[in-house]
Parts: sequence; structure tokens; C-alpha cells
Amino acid sequence: MSKLFKYFSVAILVLLAVTGCQKDFLDRKPEGRLTFEEFFQTEAHALEATNAVYAQYREFDMCALPYLSCTDILSDDADKGSTLNDAPLISDLDNFTLDATNPYVAPVYRGHYRAIARANLAIENIPNIDMDATLRSRLVGECKLLRAYSYLLLVQWFGDLPLITKTLQGDEYYSQTRQDKNLVYDQIEADLKEAIGVLPDKNGYAQADKGRATKAAAQGLLAKLYMIKKDWANAEIQCMDIINSTQYSLLNRYADNFLPIGENGSESIFEMQTVALPTQQAAGPGSSPYNMVQGVRGIPNLGWGFNRPSDNLVSAYENGDPRREATIIYVGEILPDGSTQVQDNPEIINERFNQKAWVPAHSGLQDNGPGNLRILRYADILLLAAEAKNEQSKAAEALPLLNLVRKRARGTNNFILPDVTVTDQSLLRERIYRERRVELAMEQHRWFDLLRWGRAAQVMTAAGKTGFVPGKHELLPIPQTEVDLTSGRIVQNPMY
Amino acid sequence: MRTLFFKNKPFIMKHFYKKICLLAGFIGLLASASLAQTRVTGRVLDETAGEAVIGATVLEKGTSNGTITDFEGKFALSVKDLNATLVINYTGYTSKEVQLNGQTNLDVTLAEDNGILEEIVVVGYGVQRKSDLTGAVGTVKAKELERIPTASLEQALQGKLAGVYISPSSGEPGAGATIRIRGTGTLNNASPLYVVDGMLLDDISFLNPQDVASVEVLKDASSTAIYGNRGANGVIIITTKRGLTDTKASFTLNTYYGTQQIAKKLPLANASQFAEMYNELKGNNYYPDPAALGEGTDWQDVIFRDAPMANVQLGVGGLWKKLNYNLSGNLFDQQGIMEETSFRRYTGRVNLEYPVLKSLRVGTNMAYSNYKFNTVGGGVLGGMYRMPPVFAARDSTGDFTDPTFFGQSIGNPAADLFYKNDQYARVNRLVGSVYANWTFLKHFTFRTNYGFDRRRDYFYGFEPVFMVSSSQLNNEERTARDTAKIQNWLWENTLTFDKTWDILRLNVLAGQTAQEYTFNKRRTINDILQPNGEENSDWAMLSYLGRVNATFYDRYLLTASIRADGSSRFNKNNRWGYFPSVAAGWNVSQEPFMRGFKLFDRLKLRASWGITGNDKIQNYPSLGIITPELYGAFNDTIQSGATLTNYANADVRWETTEQTDFGVEFGLFKGKLTAEIDWFRRYTYDILGDLPIPDYVGSGSNPFVNAAQVENVGWDFTVLWREVKRKFSYNFGVTISPIENKVLKLNDGKSEIFEARTGQGDFATRTVVGLPIGAFYGYQVEGVFQNQEEIDSAPKFGSEKPGDFRFADLNGDGKLSADDRTYLGSPIPTLIYGLNAGFEAFGFDLAVDFFGVKGNKVVNAKAVSRFDTPNWEKIWYDNHWTGEGTSNSVPRVTNGGHNYRMSDFLVEDGAFFRLRTVAVGYSLPKSWLDHARIRNARLYASGTNLWTKQTYSGYTPEFPNDSVFKAGMDFLNYPMAKTILFGLNVTF
Repeated sequence: MSKLFKYFSVAILVLLAVTGCQKDFLDRKPEGRLTFEEFFQTEAHALEATNAVYAQYREFDMCALPYLSCTDILSDDADKGSTLNDAPLISDLDNFTLDATNPYVAPVYRGHYRAIARANLAIENIPNIDMDATLRSRLVGECKLLRAYSYLLLVQWFGDLPLITKTLQGDEYYSQTRQDKNLVYDQIEADLKEAIGVLPDKNGYAQADKGRATKAAAQGLLAKLYMIKKDWANAEIQCMDIINSTQYSLLNRYADNFLPIGENGSESIFEMQTVALPTQQAAGPGSSPYNMVQGVRGIPNLGWGFNRPSDNLVSAYENGDPRREATIIYVGEILPDGSTQVQDNPEIINERFNQKAWVPAHSGLQDNGPGNLRILRYADILLLAAEAKNEQSKAAEALPLLNLVRKRARGTNNFILPDVTVTDQSLLRERIYRERRVELAMEQHRWFDLLRWGRAAQVMTAAGKTGFVPGKHELLPIPQTEVDLTSGRIVQNPMY
Repeated sequence: MRTLFFKNKPFIMKHFYKKICLLAGFIGLLASASLAQTRVTGRVLDETAGEAVIGATVLEKGTSNGTITDFEGKFALSVKDLNATLVINYTGYTSKEVQLNGQTNLDVTLAEDNGILEEIVVVGYGVQRKSDLTGAVGTVKAKELERIPTASLEQALQGKLAGVYISPSSGEPGAGATIRIRGTGTLNNASPLYVVDGMLLDDISFLNPQDVASVEVLKDASSTAIYGNRGANGVIIITTKRGLTDTKASFTLNTYYGTQQIAKKLPLANASQFAEMYNELKGNNYYPDPAALGEGTDWQDVIFRDAPMANVQLGVGGLWKKLNYNLSGNLFDQQGIMEETSFRRYTGRVNLEYPVLKSLRVGTNMAYSNYKFNTVGGGVLGGMYRMPPVFAARDSTGDFTDPTFFGQSIGNPAADLFYKNDQYARVNRLVGSVYANWTFLKHFTFRTNYGFDRRRDYFYGFEPVFMVSSSQLNNEERTARDTAKIQNWLWENTLTFDKTWDILRLNVLAGQTAQEYTFNKRRTINDILQPNGEENSDWAMLSYLGRVNATFYDRYLLTASIRADGSSRFNKNNRWGYFPSVAAGWNVSQEPFMRGFKLFDRLKLRASWGITGNDKIQNYPSLGIITPELYGAFNDTIQSGATLTNYANADVRWETTEQTDFGVEFGLFKGKLTAEIDWFRRYTYDILGDLPIPDYVGSGSNPFVNAAQVENVGWDFTVLWREVKRKFSYNFGVTISPIENKVLKLNDGKSEIFEARTGQGDFATRTVVGLPIGAFYGYQVEGVFQNQEEIDSAPKFGSEKPGDFRFADLNGDGKLSADDRTYLGSPIPTLIYGLNAGFEAFGFDLAVDFFGVKGNKVVNAKAVSRFDTPNWEKIWYDNHWTGEGTSNSVPRVTNGGHNYRMSDFLVEDGAFFRLRTVAVGYSLPKSWLDHARIRNARLYASGTNLWTKQTYSGYTPEFPNDSVFKAGMDFLNYPMAKTILFGLNVTF
């Protein structure tokens, strides 16, 4: 029996030998990666988490085909572009024959909610980090601005929204419902006001941080929100604050705004920063596909040729307006850097390209797009200010602002674009509306302007988009998958 | 002569690594080794007929020393001394023991067994007599596997076992297969666990099927619960060949050569048909005279070819001194039926066992393999399917045709084949185990087994600079290299108590195991490490197991087992899972009251219940992992960025399967007819799934949740008729497995799971309570709108034009919307069946295998691939709408949009019935072979996939989709090949 006992002791010892280290043995995490528990501990983490929010805006869904489909192509500024059969479902947005399964709508919804989720995470966790207090509040402010920007786009596209302002937990994934759009407005306003309180002016940033969200960017976005709400007085205050700060001015040459020279220039209030670094991949780490998807298709081969400036846009300019040439690339035109003449591509009817998305030769392939994504220009603010003043019957104050924009466009050619002098409120309104269109054409503002002016139906019908159904198409459909996944708790927009 | 043999075969040997070469030298030594023991000769005869029994095993009792009888029933064996006892065994006869008592020459007569075959079956952590088994275990022996020439063991198993559904991954060279044992019981990986000589693995692509001695498939919980967390989807135990316990070295040579061709071609529109449809699409006469274009190019002819395959296997096994050895080397080389694809595998195997002491045996089973898949980049298959037949591969100047003239972003597949063929995946792998078995105190055995799988995966891809069109070009030379290092070890320690009393056989097992897996991968392009180019991952598991097998009076059987598993994949609170099972069996035919009852020569009833688990999901489902490299791009430089983008679920826990099984086994007509029938219910709950969550959550991926409950209820029928006569033998077998898959519950208040997006982004499957997993879901086509009036008066989406589909307004609200979608069929077959037959006489043998499924639907998802499909399938041409009254089944020509929604138009019947193999062989007569000292030589010819009855329009209704939500969806895969080959087996 003692022998038996000896054998068992040996066996048990072997078992214990392995079992003894059980605790460590079963605790695993991927080598070289941080887990959430280890993150948000240092100042570096706070910076990284904030940068990660910015990074999201360079994603394909956020700036390429889905984004352009839901902005310029939806409006009367542009058609689908490219060849007839390339991405045919974009035509359903162009022609308002889309339904809730359209594959170019879901990505903008998804993409912006991902940006919001990254911002939420940073806003929740950065305040608990032991770090420089000024930097900490600035970073939170940047994230709040970005969150507000995403909600501002989403609420214009979709109306009422699931309002997610914290990181959702597993039991909350399926239970959200759409909140009234006024609640979304309130959230945007609160976020932007907090951002205004903590964000520096553009000169308040070190050179290495050039391009981060500024106080003026927050004010500009807040002005846009007030314009949507027709809160003219508050919109005027925000715009005039920016104008009176004298930090910004119009560039001498309109076209420079969209060239590398205009990036973060005196007219730039907010841009999503992008850079083309040498890379072995198709797209480098700081690039965006914005330039590629709109690039000249054919010869020279610069991209896919989507977002084609429409006939309607071509005819929207006053005679001789140089902004048309600066906005549209035509066949036969020599590219702005003088490099090549654009050849006729027989696959494409009425070939035109968005010149504002054109970039000169850069490191890497087409995918490695270097152009900053222009979000907010000073000219936009001037026109918003003019509009807000006119709506408050202050035509006399509005006119100089409007004419500043026209004067710059005119350049040295005094035969074109004369100053506007009309003071009748409704006539001036028309002039401001037209000026906004041509000044900001192909910069993805037009659709939102039409919506807040209540003119989407009228303009779409006039543009021959017979598919437009008033009362339906002012909003995009909530992606069907969202309705399906929540078993209908997320309610579809009317008539979809 | 044997030494010569190896000298003359350096062809294969030189490709092995040093170790193997050394071993080959060692074999030469073995072959010439002389033996000095006492020699006994004799004959084994049939008791009634007095004729020779061929192939009976003769074993020196208490040792592993033995031999088999030759064609005249003769044997010769060297024994320790002349007091030894010989044990003689032959299938179908009662085992006999003869004490030598000094004789050196003796005749032994064997009596036919009354059908009670004492077959030994491999089970988890041990072996059992088949008659003592309480679980449902299916066995396939080497002989049945050898008939199907394939690189993958999985493919060779198709149709062989009831309850085991095997669908080949694709016709790609070296492809494996998707296996489902007793239905689909999970929402994630439903593949079984493989146990190769004790090593637990998920991937057996290294394994050379000709090294396999037997495959046991454990189906019910009584047999799988000992594998605990990995048993839920069934377990496949693979035992590789050991050396015969023969003192003489036995050499084998197996070789075959064959040719493969595509089993079925897709009917696609030809050039003139394409041109006609293109004109209709454009609404103009782009092609003024379509008929003049004729047939054009069938792109299938451009990318497919007849391709050879070859196999050479050399082996030697036997006993040298006390060392039992079996060594083999194999070269398998298969060209693909698609140009520029191939698979080549070298394997070398060393199986050794040595009794260091009488009570201590040590051994190893080890396989080295080096395999390489040559592949092509780009989308050759997709290009073939979409490329207009009006183009030739090259234009008149010899350049590759640029198809973007059409405004399509298709690539010319011939150009992809030309420019992107320099790419391959190579795997270097050493898999095996070393073990020691120590028997002490007579009834105890302690076994320690260290198993390992060490592999290096290497991917290489080179693309030169080239330009075919603006969408098919490469501006910069690229060399991509991925290197992955994967290590997996398993250490198992078990203690067994085994004792037989008069009334009781008892086997008690206790054990402990630990396993660790690590994965490290680096991706480089032009030797530069890529962003997120390093991937590291690991998991570990710790387990304790125990089992009792008891047999009373040879007829009352009882099994109980338990396993506790700790998995690193779960949080501390959910880490441990406990998996018990109990089973009972009753050998009714052993009862005294059955003695006078001649009908059954075997009758067993059994019942089992048990719980198994599954954690086969990603390695860190409960950990939020920070995503790096989300850069800020301020001031035209990169600033580091990172955050949590993929949400995790800290509460995720085991997926659990509870299985109940009732079985009956019987033998009739003196063992000629044997049958096994099982009824089972597999109930799986807390099913793990990375189910889609709403986009507003903002997670980049879907966290794993314990999502659902699923039930699989079915039957396994196996009936075999086998008659062995002296002059001929034949057999006929049927396996039938009806099964019903049903979702019982979805957790978290969810009422439906949408999955499987088609080309336009629609979900194609919807999983709901009461229907099978991944049931197809979409619109019902009522017909085609013939004119505008019909559209105006019918429910519609709004953008329909005449010639478009009229979908059914199922909810009757007068308009079409997503609410009008409905159940369109199940991807899971309700019946799987196999038929096999064999015949042997006068040295000839014939074997035929059929395999079929019924009751499932498939979705032709490739027809709605991204963008559009420039070419159309011929069925669209034949039946499409061209004006009022022309068609009510196929719509007008469009590219994408309304008619491409997920609808029953895309759903087809998935049933098929296939002649899987037919093989004819001839074994050369013994008299010819004797003076060449050849024991056995067989020539054969075999054909695989020669005939299939299917209604599905695609290549084959079997698809390699791992996801259970996409099971029946055809996204265009490498098509199946039919194969004809000729081979030779020689043993000497």
C-alpha cells in the first residue's frame, strides 16, 4: 500500500506542478498591444485618443463616395460622374430613386457614429487622467467639437437621431431610439459652447499642432447650427465674432484655396488634416481617398472621376465668373500645375471633374491623397453673416460682407461680378443664396443650404430630378439594417 | 535488394530534411539486420472448410511480437522460447491461443465467430472494445480512405459516415473541407476537433491521408464530453499507421498519376448574345450586328485547363529488436484546373515505439510537412465570370485586351494570370508527439504525452510593373512577404486503472492537460514592415478530466465522464466550464434468454447524455484591445493616435451543447448484416456569435455575445451488408442522416439576426426562432411587369420600369418595402445520404461511392456581385424580358438595382446526388509475385466526381463558407474537378 501511495504522490505532484502556475497561464493578452484597462492612463494616451477621432474623418465612408453621394451628388451641383455603369446605385441618390438599403447612405451614418464613439470615449476618460490641466481641457474640447460636427451632419441628413453621448454598454446596444432633432441641436450647441470656452485661437497652437480645431471653428459650426434653427441673431453674433477677431481674411486668389498653398491659410477656419507620406501601401497613414475618387478618369489617369459638376452648376455662374474655371476641370483644360492636358474619355458623357479636389503630383499612388478636407472657409462665414443680417432686415450691414466675397472673386477684372446694391430683403436673399452656391460649389455645402432654406423640393424639381418626393426626400432613409437590427425600435423616416 | 531500392529512389528522399535522410540510412541498417531467436512456423486453417486463412495475425502472447499469415495461411515467427503462447486472430473468427510446448511447427484451426466481432475502437484518451462502447462512434479504416485520391483527409471522408456532412472547400488544389457533425449547432465555427495521435488540432492540412490507419468520429456526448470545451461540434480522432508487429520489415509503395478537369462548366452568354443584351442595356445599337460576333471567347476556356496530379508514397514498417517503427515519405503534387494554381506537399513521418523496460514504453509519432500553394493575385475567377465574351484575351497587337472600354472596372483575367502568378503560400510544419507509458502495480498506467505543432507560414507575392488599363495596373514593383510563426503545444498526463474481474471490467481514467498556442505574424512590402503589420495572438487552456467505464457480465455497460476546462478566452469569472456525461448500454444478445434466439447474433441498446462546450472564437473576446496607428496628420506630419475601436464583451462565457442519444446496434445473418441506428437531440445554448449590432453603437466590429439557442434533432442510420466467401466477397452499405435544425431562442431581446450581405449590401439571411440558422430571406418574385399600366396599379418601390420584377406585397399595405421580405428556404440539408458498394473476386476489386443531400436551398449570390455583371449567365439571355409578353420569369437587362435585390429569383434547389468515386483494382496473383519476394501488388484505376445530378445552375451546390450564416451562398468559388487516375500499390 505504501508503494501505491508513493506512485500517487508522484502523479499528484506532476499535476500540481502545472496547476500551480494556473493563474498566469490563463491570463492572456496580445503581445505588444494595450488593453482598454491599460489605456487612458497618461497624457500620451489622451493625445492619441484625440488624434484617433480626427483620423476617422479621413476614412473612405467619411470623405469619398458615400459622403459625396449624400452631399454634392444629391444636390444640383453634381451628377454621379465616372462611367455609366460604375457604382450605379449612386445614381439612385442622384435621381432620388433610392431606398433604405442604398449602400452609399449607410456608410455616412456608420462612419459618423464611429467618430462619435471615439469622441465619447475620449470625453469620458481624458478628464480622469493626471496630466496638464490646460491640455486636458483642450483635448476634451477638440473631441466635443468633432462630436458636434458629426451630429450636425447627421441631423441634417437623417433628422431625429439616436443621441449617443457616452460609450454604450452591451445591454444598451439594441435599445436606443431616435430623439427629437431639437434635442440633438441642444447637444450640438452645448458641445460647441464648451469647445469655444476651452479651444485656443489658431495662433494659440504650436506649429506641430497646426490644423487642430480652434475656437473659431467651433464658433463657425455653432453659427451653422443657429442658421439651421433660423436663430439669426445668435448666428450673426458667432459670425461677427470670427470676423471681428481679424484672424481671418480672404485669399487674394479664389483658386488658391484649393491648392496646397491654401491649406491652413488665412481663409481657412477648419480643415481635416491630410498628408501623403511616402508609403509602400496603396494609401499611406495620413492620406484620404477624397482626391482619388474625384480625380480625372482617363488621361491623365488621376482617379475615378466621380462627382461630376452638373450642367445646372455650369449655368449657375454669372458671365465671366472666374470661380467656374476654378471649380471645374473640362476636357482640353490644362491642369493647374501645367502638367497635362485632359484628354477626352469616350466612356464618359459630358466629361467634367471637380477641380477643388484636384491635387498636384504627390508621394505614392492615387490612393495616397494629400488634400486637406476643407470644412469651413472664411468666405462661408462672411456669407452666413450677410444672410443672418439680411434675415434681420439689416441689408445695409449685409451688403459689404457679400460684396467682399464678390470683390475677391472678381480679382482685377472690373468688368465682371459688380457689387450687389439691392436692399430689398427678398431680392437680397436671392443674391446671397446664389452667391453661396457659386462661391461654395462642389464643397459639399449645397445640399445642406437647400435644406435649411426649405428649397430642396423646388430646386430638385427645377433641376429635373423627377424622383424627388416632397416630404420624403428632404431626409435620407435610416439604413434598413439599423431598423432590422433594432426590430423596428429605430423607426424609418416617412415614406421610405 | 532493399538497400538498392532506397539507393534508386533518391528522388523523393533528397527533398526531405536532414533528419529524414538520417532515418533513411537507419532503415537500410534495419533491412539488413539479422535476427537470432527461436523460429516457429505453421499454418492457420479454417476449422470447417480446412482452407487457409489469409492475413490472420499471429502474436506471441504478452509481447508485441507477431506476424500475419500469407496466401497459403502460412506464418513464421521468431519467439523468445518454445514455452511461449501464440494468439491467433482473424476478423470473423474466434480468437485462439495455442501454447507451443516445444513445437516449432504447428497447424492452427480457427472457428468462425457467430458475428461478435471484437473490434477495438479508439476513443478519447484510450481504446475500447466496440461491444463495450456506450457512445456513437463511427470508424473508417485506411482501406476505404485510400480509394479517394485527394490531398485532404476530410474530402476522403465524404459520404462514409452517417451524421457527418462534408462539403469540399473548393476544387482548389490542396483544399480541405467544411465538416458538420450532426448538424450546425453554433453561430460561429462549427468545425469539429481533430485529434491526431493525441495532439488536439484545428487544422490537419499537414496530414497525408495515406499515413492514416483509422479515423474515428465521435458523435454523441458520451464519447465527446471527455474533450469538454472542444467536443461540442464532434471529435475526429485520427490514428496514423504503426509498424506491423512483424519481425520482417515491410515495404510499401503507393503511387498514382491522374488528370483532372472541370466537372461542370457554367453556361454563360456568348459574344452575340452578350452584344444583344448590351444593346438592350444601353438602349442603342452599340453593336450593329450582334449575330456576326458569333461565339466569342468563353473565358472559362481561358482560365481553366486539364491538370495532372501525382502521388508517390514510400513506407517501411516493422519491428527491429524491440523497436516498433513505421516510416514513410510522400510527395503529393497537384496542378490546379485553374491556370497557375498548384499544390505540392512533401511529408515525412516517423512513428516509433520502444519498450525501455517491461513496464515502460516510450514512443513518438511525428510528421514533418512542407507544402506550398501556388496562387494568382487579382480576381481571375471574378474576371472570368464578368468579362464580356466579345473580347479575346489579347488584341491584334498581342497586348492584353483592355475591357475598361466598356466603362467597367473589370480586370482581364488572362492578364492577371500573366502578371500576378508569382505568388505562393508555403507552410513548414512539424506536428507530433512524444510519450511515455508506464505500467505499474499491474493495473495502473501512467501516460504522459507531449504534443506539438510548430509551423512557419510564409506568403510571398511579387507584382511587376504593368499596365493593361486604368483599373488594372501596377505602378511600382511590389514584393509582399508575410511570415507567421505558430506554435502550439499540449501536455497531457493521465492515470488509468484497468482491471478485469469475473463479472466486471473496470477502467478508470484521471488526467490533467495544459495547452498553449501562440501566433506571431509580420507583413512586409518591399521589405518594409507595414502599418499594423505585426500581429500577435495567443491562448491557453488548462483541463482536468476523469472517466469510468464499467462492464458487468459482458452485457451491462456504464460510462461516466467529466472534464473541467479553463480557457484564457474568458474573463476570470467565466473562465471555467464543466462538462459531464453519463451513458449506459445493454448487450441484449449476451443475455442467457437470447441464447435460443437465433435471429440476432448481436444486439445492443445504448443511451447517453452529456454536455460539451465550444470556445472556438477569436482569442480575446472579453478584452478591449486598443487599435493603434489611427494617426493625426497635423502640420503635414504624422502624430501617433490610438483608441478603442472594437468593443469587447467582458461577460462572454462558454457556449454549451447538451446532447441526448439513443442507439441500437445489431447484427443479423451471422454478421452479414450489421446496422447501427441512432436518434439524437443536440441542444446548444449560450451560443457565441459576433452578431451585428446597430451602427449607432459606433464599434468597428461586433463583440461576441452568448446569443442564441439552437436544436438539431436527427437520426443516423448505418446499414452494411457484407459477405466474405472463399472465392469472392462483396459489401453494400448505406448511410442516411435526416436532420432538422431549428433556432429555439435569441438572447438579449433580439427577435432576428440579419447576416450575409450580397453584392448590393442587402442581407440575404435572417435567423429567427423556429427556422434553421441562416435561413434565406428576401422578396418573392410574382412575375415581371409587362407594361406601365401594370406598374401603376401594382404595389411597388417606385423606380420600377416595364420589364422589372414585380415583387409580392406580402403584408398587403399596397406598397413594397423591407417588410415584404419573407423566408425563402434553408441552406441546411434535411437529408444527407451515402451509398457504397464493393466487390472482390479473382484478384479484382471494385468499389463505388455515392453521396447526396436533399432539402436545402442555395443562393446564386455571384449573380449580384459588386458593381454589376457585364456578362450574364445564359439563362438570363434565354429567358429575359424584351417587351410585353416576352417573359414573366427573368427581368429586362439591367446592371444592378431593383432586379438585383435579394429575392427568390436567386434561390435555387441545393439537392444533389454524386458518384463520388468508382475504383477498379487488380491484385496480381501470389504465384507471380513470390519469387520477386513481393507480398502484394495491386493495380488500379479510379474516378472521382465523374457524375453529379444537380438542378443548381452553378458549378456545384457546395460552398466553402465557414460562416454558418452564409452556408448556402455561392460567391463564385474555385470549381470542382473530376479526376481519373491510375495507380499501383506494392508491398514487399
